[in-house]
Amino acid sequence: MALETERKTEAIFNSTPAQKQKDRILLLLRLVAFLATASATIVMALNKQTITLVVATIGNNPIKASLTAKFQHTPAFVLVLYSLLIPSLLHIYNDCACTFFVVANAQASFHNLLILVLEIVGHKIDFKGLRLAIIAILDMLIVVLAAAGDGAAVFMAELGKNGNSHARWNKICDKFQTFCDHGSGALIASFIGLILLLIINIISIAKLFKPKSYNTI
Amino acid sequence: MFHIFKTLLARDPFSSSLDLPKAKFPMTKTRRIFTLLLRLLAMGATLAATIIMVTSHDSAEVLNLTFEAKYSNESTFKYFVIAEAVASGYSLIVLFISSKSLLRHLVMILDVVITTVLSSSVSAAMAIAHVGKKGNSHAGWLPICGLVHKFCNQVTGALIAGFIAAIIYLVLLLYTLHTVYI
Repeated sequence: MALETERKTEAIFNSTPAQKQKDRILLLLRLVAFLATASATIVMALNKQTITLVVATIGNNPIKASLTAKFQHTPAFVLVLYSLLIPSLLHIYNDCACTFFVVANAQASFHNLLILVLEIVGHKIDFKGLRLAIIAILDMLIVVLAAAGDGAAVFMAELGKNGNSHARWNKICDKFQTFCDHGSGALIASFIGLILLLIINIISIAKLFKPKSYNTI
Repeated sequence: MFHIFKTLLARDPFSSSLDLPKAKFPMTKTRRIFTLLLRLLAMGATLAATIIMVTSHDSAEVLNLTFEAKYSNESTFKYFVIAEAVASGYSLIVLFISSKSLLRHLVMILDVVITTVLSSSVSAAMAIAHVGKKGNSHAGWLPICGLVHKFCNQVTGALIAGFIAAIIYLVLLLYTLHTVYI
């Protein structure tokens, strides 16, 4: 009996044009959030800059060393292999925080895409009245994960940009300008995605509370 | 007076949902006690994290230079302290809002925001603490945990408390959703 009322009220809920417009606005917000998180993932994953420094001069031949800044951690044996070559390639990696940032944003964009597809295509799939609850719970988890990734990455970027004189950690952004610029762009995109995702989540939770026979939001 | 209060409540659209079949999951006494307990635990964990981080302080002598480590030298740890303090104040205030009042929806939304902030602060502090412990030799950042043991241990303790607080808040959020809707 409760299921029938649920289905009937959901039908009433979805059929007014004002409600449909609000649903479309929600879909649009989710699309923008998906684009933001996906672009953040891609920009950070392809973020790479190589600069060459003159290390020493023997006779007339300067020995150049190439420094590469990449987002991911390189295992140690690859490092040994590379350092045997001249010019030697030293990899600077911004440790686990950047990898976590890329992974978290990839998961957030995948989740956004999934829910988008579900909303557009899967209206007939029956979730036994739990559709809104499932979307709200998943959204909550993804918001927390994306926030963690963003927090770690932004403070690592601040450390790279300003250094820390108390711990004798020097800044690296003055040498790797493009790397830092691309990184900040990815961070801004990720924050836009996070704020939009938070707004979407709050609207989904608010939809849960309102009794369904009142078509208000 | 009580009669006026009842009529006011009856006109509220939230409380009239109690007539629909959706309200077959009211907040029974055990659920209310469990929620209260979770909030108390969360308040304790956030308070502990704040206090442990604020009192972390150590200094070491290296080659006639005094190397002093305080939480306020890093902006990340300052953000951690502020976030945990706000969360513990919020927990304290929400403890006094009963589960039937009109503010319970606002409380749930604020819970989501606070969980987000908590998780981001713990994650950021963990990232910086990882650099402090293991260093980043290729960027020229040496680990400082070998010099200031007490500071490192206290920061680790504060991070553990913060992590537990974030998990408790997540569990609280899911449990509130479970009692209200599913």
